[in-house]
Amino acid sequence: MNEKLRNYIEFLFEDAPKTKEVIELKEEMLQNLIDKYNDLVSEGKTSEAAYNIATASIGDVNDLIAQLKNRPTYQQGFEKEMLASKKRSALFTSIAVVLYIMSVIPVMLLGEIGTGILGVVIMFILIAIATGLIVYNSMSKPKYLKKDQTVVEEFKEWKANSIEKNALYKSICGAMWSIIVVIYFIISFMTMAWHITWIIFLIGSAIQGIIHAIFELRK
Amino acid sequence: MTITSDMIRGHTDTIILAHLEEQDSYGYQINKSIQERTGYILKDATLYTAFRRLEDVEYITSYWGDGDSGARRRYYTITKKGRQALLEMKKEWQEAKAIIDKLIHMEEGYYE
Repeated sequence: MNEKLRNYIEFLFEDAPKTKEVIELKEEMLQNLIDKYNDLVSEGKTSEAAYNIATASIGDVNDLIAQLKNRPTYQQGFEKEMLASKKRSALFTSIAVVLYIMSVIPVMLLGEIGTGILGVVIMFILIAIATGLIVYNSMSKPKYLKKDQTVVEEFKEWKANSIEKNALYKSICGAMWSIIVVIYFIISFMTMAWHITWIIFLIGSAIQGIIHAIFELRK
Repeated sequence: MTITSDMIRGHTDTIILAHLEEQDSYGYQINKSIQERTGYILKDATLYTAFRRLEDVEYITSYWGDGDSGARRRYYTITKKGRQALLEMKKEWQEAKAIIDKLIHMEEGYYE
């Protein structure tokens, strides 16, 4: 009988757009219809009578379908969220860049008074904060959500998702390479072993390879 | 009965909000409770149109939950904004009731 009730709901929403909202509404209405039908049967109605009473109680769904076709709220909310996230993203990126630039200042200043190590430590902390900001920023960007349920929108969502992963990968690699350059100079100046310190770059590309592999595996 | 039906349908939003003020609920449960209390049944279409409308103005929100029988149901919760709106609606109804009472008891008052 559940199948018969499902068919009835499908028949009612034949002309409705096949959106997520409509599918959810159909599921909601079907469950309530099944509940009603079961109650009627347990009251002693024959299954045919229960079916007729339950389906008759639905009424005219045309208004309901028309209403679902023009619900603006979700879209507006999404656009607001996008705008806010753009602003936040710009702020985070600027702060990160400022931190990167300023990170050498403590090295220079404290190097003058002979506590170079402290300067390096502060520099690394600043770089770590800046990198953290960039990574957090690209990870917390809102996903592209479908505006409606067409295939074009689905494609856009898929594309946005792959770009998002790409952007995260790029920002991690970018941050990693700037850190590697800094490490290279620090170690080289401290040890003066320039003939061997270039190996750091090989290590860098090995790390990049590992990060790439992790991203590939996640897909 | 038609007048009663129209009156009740005109206050679908208030009736739904009043039910949700007591506890989170789903479509059939609300309709069943209305029927048990009054013998009147709202059409499902009327009920679901009202749900969507109330969601749009953020008086209620919904979530999918598992019922006792394991069936997936959409439950509705009243929001803070919804509670305030309900207070307002109740007040308006009291006022309207008082006015209509006065108007339709005019003759009785005249002869008293």
